[in-house]
Amino acid sequence: MNPEVHIPGWEWYYVAMYFFIAGISAGAYFIGTLAELFGGERHREISRTGFYIAFPLILLTPPLLIADLGRPERFWHLLFYAKSGIPYMNFQSPLSVGSWALLLFGAMAFLSFLDNLVSEGKLQSAPFAKAYSRIPRKWYAVVGSIAGFFVAGYTGVILNVTARPFWVATDPLVGALFIASAASTGAAAIYLVMSWRKKLTDPGLPGFDRFDRLSKVLELVLAVALVLIAGKWAAPLLRGLNAVMFWGGAVVLGTLFPLAAGWYATRAVEGRMPPERLATVMAVLVLFGGALLRISLLQAGQVQ
Amino acid sequence: MPKGMFVDTSICTGCKACQVACKEWNALPHEPGHFRFDPVEKRPVAVNFTGDSYDNTGALGATDWRRVRFIEQFSEDRSRGRWLFSSDSCKHCNDAGCLNACPTGAIVRTGLGNVFIRQDVCIGCKYCIPSCPYGVISLSIATGTVHKCTLCNDRIHNGLGTACAKVCPTGSISFGEIAELRKAADTRLAQLKGLGYGEANIYGYKEAGGLNVFYLFLDRPQVYGQTESVVVPQRRLPVSSAVAIAGALALGGAALVSFRERGSRPEDGEEVKT
Ligand code: SF4
Ligand code: SF4
Repeated sequence: MNPEVHIPGWEWYYVAMYFFIAGISAGAYFIGTLAELFGGERHREISRTGFYIAFPLILLTPPLLIADLGRPERFWHLLFYAKSGIPYMNFQSPLSVGSWALLLFGAMAFLSFLDNLVSEGKLQSAPFAKAYSRIPRKWYAVVGSIAGFFVAGYTGVILNVTARPFWVATDPLVGALFIASAASTGAAAIYLVMSWRKKLTDPGLPGFDRFDRLSKVLELVLAVALVLIAGKWAAPLLRGLNAVMFWGGAVVLGTLFPLAAGWYATRAVEGRMPPERLATVMAVLVLFGGALLRISLLQAGQVQ
Repeated sequence: MPKGMFVDTSICTGCKACQVACKEWNALPHEPGHFRFDPVEKRPVAVNFTGDSYDNTGALGATDWRRVRFIEQFSEDRSRGRWLFSSDSCKHCNDAGCLNACPTGAIVRTGLGNVFIRQDVCIGCKYCIPSCPYGVISLSIATGTVHKCTLCNDRIHNGLGTACAKVCPTGSISFGEIAELRKAADTRLAQLKGLGYGEANIYGYKEAGGLNVFYLFLDRPQVYGQTESVVVPQRRLPVSSAVAIAGALALGGAALVSFRERGSRPEDGEEVKT
């Protein structure tokens, strides 16, 4: 641990927001895929909603990523070596591999989005439909999900694989934590969109609810474990605004509270689902907590 | 043949000539002045001093590629004291965290072993900055790219030594081929040990795959601000990635038990149409 290691100076409103939005998009996408793969047709609405969310959100992320660069106009150097124009990847750099994963994920999310529109009859024939409709939907959903897990996780691995003491001390948990958070925020986004589209009668919802709870438990366990393994180096996360964002926002509002509310509601109310209004509020809190998780972990590594 | 520098801190006098030579040769911008005219007080006031040291450079960065560290140790009544000096810079690591981290290939190693940032390729993503275990690199707002010591790339590829080594009046910094520098370092270390400097040690034979700029210290490296247990960040990448993958698999498992449970049970009376 060398406290002299410089801070990169990544702005939270670009970089943490990029982590956050990419996480929701990837989470919605892989939940959609997993629900359909493991749960079959009765989860079709959930997977459809996931695919509707993933593509528009991932479109928002490149501008955020590019805005934080010192030379935004050179962003394409991430994919092509500037001297030769040949595609470039540095396998030791999660930032480099992640850029390609983001591209692949975006492409698959686009295909699934088009497929959605066609199957709902909103689009008569999708552009290039001939080229890809022969490939079963599930195939590119699986490829996209693997890329999605990568997109959700590499943002955490990026932080861990540096020499900043806080990020070294929390190694190797941030990647897994961001993946769990991608699942819980992705599920929250799916829930909100389904309730907005008045599709909450879907037969797949109980299973979805169970998955959502499990992902929050995983997130909670990882968040606490991260503080424990960091020991005294966790100090920047346990002081001031970072502590408020991490404990108050990410842990309590983002996971503990929704878990408790869901558990309480299923006990108190007949039926398996928490009442709609409560669930909507909880989904908003989960999204809020997911954003604060990214901000606090980014900022704690950048305390001078 | 890799080239580098050997910094024998035992004979450094803290004159900072190397810092000046570095700034001059590399045309690095000056720092904000140490005095500013205060319109209210109507006199110059001191600003931008560290305040507790003769070292007012403070850290390496985009415009400070060399920094003489001052280790100032004094007893309470200042009757006894020790001053140690150590001229510090990028170490041109053989396993360079910065180079490993760069997603654009902007950071390259030249045939002489030095680590060089191509200014026309760097996009200013800043990932190399926290990836250097020594806190060497920083971003220049002026260029939008990152900068650090080049080991005088232009000079050494034209048969000259580095500017700092050239100007050093005591010979504390020497430039040359690594093998020869190591020989000289070992000889000097043996000499110092013989003179009773039991703590004397060489820093940089093993760290980060071997440092092309290495040091002879009279005390533990930590005293000179050099980290004693360097882990190049990318060496932790396999475990980091494996745990992230485990997280993804755990979620996959959670999805399997969650989405499967009712949908796949025939007694629920529903067909599974997959
Ligand atoms: S000291 Fe830092 S900047 Fe210099 S080569 Fe090593 S990792 Fe790169
Ligand atoms: S800031 Fe420049 S040199 Fe550093 S990692 Fe990014 S592209 Fe490479």
